[in-house]
Amino acid sequence: MSDRLLELRNIQKRFGGVHALRGVDFDLAAGEVHVLLGENGAGKSTLMGVLSGAVVPDGGSIALDGQGVQFASPREAHAAGIAMIPQELDLVPGLDIASNLFLGNELTSGFMLSHRRMRRNAQDLLRRAGVSLDAGLPVASLRMGERQLVAIAKALSAKARILIMDEPTAALSAVEADHLFTVVKDLAARGVGIVYISHRLEEVPRIAHRVTVMRDGAVVGITTPDAPQAELVQLLVGRPFSDLFPPRAARIGAPILRLANAAFDPDLPRAGWQAPRDVTLTVHEGEIVGLAGRMGVGRTELLSALHGFGAKGRWRGTIEVRGRPATLGTIPAARHAGLAYVTDDRRGTGLILTHTVAQNAVMSTLRKVTPFGLVSRALERRHVARALEDYDVRPRAPDAKVVNLSGGNQQKVVFAKELMSAPGLLLLDEPTRGVDVGAKAEIYRRLRSLTAGGLGVLVASSELPELIGLCDRIVVMDEGRTIHEFGPAPREEDVRRMSEGESRAA
Amino acid sequence: MSTTPATAAPAAAQRPRRHPLTYLVRFQSLLGLILVIIAGVAFSPRRHGNILFLQPDNIANIIRSISETGILAVGMTFVIIAAGIDLSVGAVLGLCSVLTAALFVNEGWGLWSTLPLVIVAGTLFGAVQGAISVKARIQAFIVTLAGLQAARGLSLIASNNAFININYGEGPGNAPPAFAVLGERIGGVFPVATLVFVVLAVIAIFVLNNTRYGRYVFAVGGNEKAARLSGIPVEWIKISVYAITGFVSAIAGIVHAGQFAFGSPNDGTGYELNAIAAVVIGGTDLFGGAGSMIGTIAGAVMLGALANILQLNDVSAAMQLLATGAIIVVAAALQTYVGRGGGTR
Repeated sequence: MSDRLLELRNIQKRFGGVHALRGVDFDLAAGEVHVLLGENGAGKSTLMGVLSGAVVPDGGSIALDGQGVQFASPREAHAAGIAMIPQELDLVPGLDIASNLFLGNELTSGFMLSHRRMRRNAQDLLRRAGVSLDAGLPVASLRMGERQLVAIAKALSAKARILIMDEPTAALSAVEADHLFTVVKDLAARGVGIVYISHRLEEVPRIAHRVTVMRDGAVVGITTPDAPQAELVQLLVGRPFSDLFPPRAARIGAPILRLANAAFDPDLPRAGWQAPRDVTLTVHEGEIVGLAGRMGVGRTELLSALHGFGAKGRWRGTIEVRGRPATLGTIPAARHAGLAYVTDDRRGTGLILTHTVAQNAVMSTLRKVTPFGLVSRALERRHVARALEDYDVRPRAPDAKVVNLSGGNQQKVVFAKELMSAPGLLLLDEPTRGVDVGAKAEIYRRLRSLTAGGLGVLVASSELPELIGLCDRIVVMDEGRTIHEFGPAPREEDVRRMSEGESRAA
Repeated sequence: MSTTPATAAPAAAQRPRRHPLTYLVRFQSLLGLILVIIAGVAFSPRRHGNILFLQPDNIANIIRSISETGILAVGMTFVIIAAGIDLSVGAVLGLCSVLTAALFVNEGWGLWSTLPLVIVAGTLFGAVQGAISVKARIQAFIVTLAGLQAARGLSLIASNNAFININYGEGPGNAPPAFAVLGERIGGVFPVATLVFVVLAVIAIFVLNNTRYGRYVFAVGGNEKAARLSGIPVEWIKISVYAITGFVSAIAGIVHAGQFAFGSPNDGTGYELNAIAAVVIGGTDLFGGAGSMIGTIAGAVMLGALANILQLNDVSAAMQLLATGAIIVVAAALQTYVGRGGGTR
């Protein structure tokens, strides 16, 4: 690491009363992937803002190749070879890849755009980024992972020597993430310095050369990627890993939902939508049951077919709710049966971002606060105040716009909204995607306190440690079928082998 | 959200920071209305020391002139908050005015059979458009553009392609004298047509802000998927808002026939754009989910007052159109600049 590309020393930044960066040191070597971990509010985005010229620090120094520099704008940082790939990619979906790569720097011959030259150069850039895509494809036709790669190629087109990636895998599938890692490592091998912002601990050993952990605006640790997860969590949240998961159910009650050899026939079969084909599982009162399996084996589809959101069709086989045969498959039927659903896409389908916390919180239970169809503001206020208290939504501001809340708090509002209807069974799809470790722990605790009151939970997650730490039982799925059931606290290897082994046989 | 600038998120959450212009947007229509009135007083021609703009007769003229656009805009506000649009309202107004005149004059129907039938017809027309848009998944812009053409065609059929004059009196060929009340003024000052607008507006403000239905409309416009997931009957709500615009178009059509004592198949042309303008000036978000009925009403009055000032000063019709255009752009720019403000009000 003698080849020190970048050095930040004692960076200070205040926003009003908030001390965002308290003397942060950070350095990056050429050819290094340096992972920056931190929870929301830890200061990692502000630090990267300083580096990319978007934020002007109050104090401290930045050195590039040993030379002191100051960036007054992102343009200056860009000129110095620092490129940032934001989470919301700045690509134009309607244009093809080549046009995106040369957006603002179009190649021309005379008045005319030189499409052929741009196409050729773009293809070259893509190849250098290790991407095998046709530069003539419209960006809109690409999957998220491919767009991410195009964004990298775009950064490289500006001759970037330092690449800042902000949670690049947040919207990617496992396969896409794998490919991205290969590309990133390849870039590093060619001497690009990469700052990789993440809060996915499981990515750390796969990609990092070095890890810096931030908390509350300061660096709390610099470690190697082989540090155990438990150590990283402790650094991140300031308390031990085992504290993350609450104790398991003390009392398991009567069955709430029982499926036996149940199958779902969608009205409109879609490619890539794995309908439940043979599902046998039971969720009891007070119990958390996990759904494991690879991407695309039908976990999400099972949940939506039970709830009726985005899936119209008919169930066959045995379906019982609290011991009685039930018809499921539409949202009203599911609500009537006491099933509530928390979506994995809170911004897209869970919340109305431009509305207030209160409006969102009562959205699915408006009947409760509108006797005779008229809105009772007193009832509404009371219900919402209790929900904000119960779910510890911060701030306790019913009139704040949801869009201004942090991810974790938005998720709490979704929970509050769904649970206000006092359901018997909660269906959860990736409940902790995109929320940081501290907020995850809070969601786990909340779930346990809910199940202590008799609620049953069926949760699909692609994070095995989460399922293992949280669930009383884990059901493994493959190709729309339930293939195995584990009791409490199985070994991670066993579950992993079961979910992946079957796929190889198929 | 996980990468919200680390410090901005908590700060914003603790005390939602508002852009100063947010307030301007929230009250832009009322503010604009006040400005227009001040301008009206300042630029008004005077006669014998009296400010013509403020003469009761002139004010009555203003509020009468906006009654029909206002009625349409009340319905349009529901549709736009639900993230839709209805281009057919002017044509449905024309159709309903023709239908009213034709039933009175050509068919000899009475008041109590004609008016309910016209209202039902207008409401149905709207509901059918809504149903087509929802069930066939065609954008409302297209469906109601087609509806506009269809309504014009129907008016030509209903009127035999002719202007129908309404005479009041007993017997065939005459309209019931009571119908003439729509062209009159209460106490010689307050136009009955405006009263209809005011009554509808008051009901609409209440429905939008104080009923479950109103909340559903906001939710559907704010995020249709989230609304569906929350168990809100999204399709029904979407159809119903077009039934509302159909309903108010029928009322406006009846008022139109009563005010002018005729039914003409080409009347109401372009009214849909005035209604949309009033809604937009009133601060309702064309993307849906946020808006204000009071804003719409202020927007409608503002447009009427502006046109009146320009007329009093003998400004040409061309300049009036330009001024209206400019105001719409300013209102829209204000909203865009501050972002999707809104919420309910």
